[in-house]
Amino acid sequence: MSVLLAVSGLVAGYEPGLPILRGVSLTLGEGGIVALIGPNGAGKSTLIKAIAGQVPRFAGAVSLAGRDLAGTPTHRLGALGLGYVPQVANVFARLTVAENLVLAAAALPGPARRAAVAAQYAAFPDLASRARLPAGRLSGGQRQMLALARALLASPRVLLLDEPSAGLAPAVVSTVFARLRAIAAGGVAILLVEQNVGAALALATRALVLVGGRIAREDAAAALAADPGLADLFLGRAA
Amino acid sequence: MIAQYVADGVVSGALVGLGAIGLTLTYAVLGFANFAQGEFLTWGAYFALALLSGTGLGHAAALPPFAFGWPLLLVLPAAVALTGGLAVALDHVLFRPLRRRAGPMGLVIASFGASLALANLVVLLFGPKPRYFSRAIAFAIPVAPGVRLTADRMLVVALALLAMAALHLLLTRSRLGLAMRASAENPALAAVYGVDAEGVRRASWWIGGGMSALAGVLLGQTEQIQPLMGADLLLSLFAAAILGGIGSAGGAFVGGLVVGLAEALSVPLLGAAYRPAAAFLVLFAVLMLRPTGLFGERP
Ligand SMILES: Nc1ncnc2c1ncn2[C@@H]1O[C@H](COP(=O)(O)OP(=O)(O)OP(=O)(O)O)[C@@H](O)[C@H]1O
Ligand SMILES: [Mg+2]
Repeated sequence: MSVLLAVSGLVAGYEPGLPILRGVSLTLGEGGIVALIGPNGAGKSTLIKAIAGQVPRFAGAVSLAGRDLAGTPTHRLGALGLGYVPQVANVFARLTVAENLVLAAAALPGPARRAAVAAQYAAFPDLASRARLPAGRLSGGQRQMLALARALLASPRVLLLDEPSAGLAPAVVSTVFARLRAIAAGGVAILLVEQNVGAALALATRALVLVGGRIAREDAAAALAADPGLADLFLGRAA
Repeated sequence: MIAQYVADGVVSGALVGLGAIGLTLTYAVLGFANFAQGEFLTWGAYFALALLSGTGLGHAAALPPFAFGWPLLLVLPAAVALTGGLAVALDHVLFRPLRRRAGPMGLVIASFGASLALANLVVLLFGPKPRYFSRAIAFAIPVAPGVRLTADRMLVVALALLAMAALHLLLTRSRLGLAMRASAENPALAAVYGVDAEGVRRASWWIGGGMSALAGVLLGQTEQIQPLMGADLLLSLFAAAILGGIGSAGGAFVGGLVVGLAEALSVPLLGAAYRPAAAFLVLFAVLMLRPTGLFGERP
């Protein structure tokens, strides 16, 4: 298994001198789904944002397919193969569905752009029938689909997903998760933040538990799912 | 009689609208009110003047029915480009370093300083006296019952409409326009979508500066060129941008037309003394009914 994303000793936060992440290391390999779980405020979103260059990194390193990302601005990461779907405000509400997709594919030459957008419409028919609707008027589930389709347009090798199932009905969640499984089967490495721990562990191959800005536990997803001490870990008690 | 005021209002409103586009774009993409916007009009006019006299083309005969010669049409795009470049340069030396450290209020204050500096620099370079592109006299032509306009002023409206249509196409059809609208909505997400924020900011300054320069050259041709020509218009520009719904380019243009009409019609309806207040009366009335302006996004 080749390493696609490597994070080592990452210290990051919003204000200098106030680190939220206090030395996080992880690796992501081809085709694997790694679940990132932990209590509210543990720093899961911050970790994903720090990888995506949206939160300042104070120490440590992030590399994508062997390439050090120090100094690489967020807007170049897509072209390097890193896709990121934020937890909130992950589509442009005032742009139409089609405009959201075209903007995300803007770096591709004309024919490739059209083909890429068409491929996402084929994968998400709900979006195709709403192409001209402002994204702000989509339902929560459709909006998550659009955010996912947008990230997939650039054919990422690594996908960072911050709670893609938040606010979705159970039936929609299983559709989204089925899509993720298919995407991973295509060789994409996925780092998945989830509140629904049970579902996340069922989907993932491995899992990381983040507590207070540190990785408190890393294990095979199945092993963690079977561990009765997991709840204690979440509550901050020693495992 | 009233028809003539309406026609005059449309002409001055078209100029205010062109000038206000820069204001609204800067606000949408960079998030602050740029008090130096008026100076881009002024500098546009003086760039054209300097190019005309520098190249010795200023004395070419007028092109009937217009009161200016062909060289003005030649230097117009150059003046627009130079002013766009001036706006980008100003961002580079002043606003960009401040963006990292100061909030929107700091940027507003800085733009106030830039406005004073740019206006005074014009006085230093060109003197305080009014100047003209040409000495030719413009004759008003009857265009409708009771309405007479010079060919120059009709051209103002035509060019303003053309520039507006081009901008509309750019914003709605091009990738740059898409990126600008996205950055206005959420700059951090735009970066995630692969948009280079610095490139979008640069484009906004080019467009906003260029549109203002076009207004400045046209104003210089139909009225006069003087160091405070842009500063004198600033309040009208703000009224137009706010009226149209801050952040909407088409709105700013329509807002400019409303402001121009209100100012022109206030003279026969309220008396000339009320002219400076007319834009604000309309602004007040519109904002009471629609707090986000005529075309503003509902929050
Ligand atoms: N923009 C911000 N500025 C300053 N501090 C922030 C910001 N966003 C988050 N934080 C702080 O960082 C810490 C970690 O927040 P983060 O959003 O990463 O948690 P999370 O694990 O994603 O939580 P949740 O499960 O609720 O999404 C919290 O203490 C939070 O208050
Ligand atoms: Mg979070």
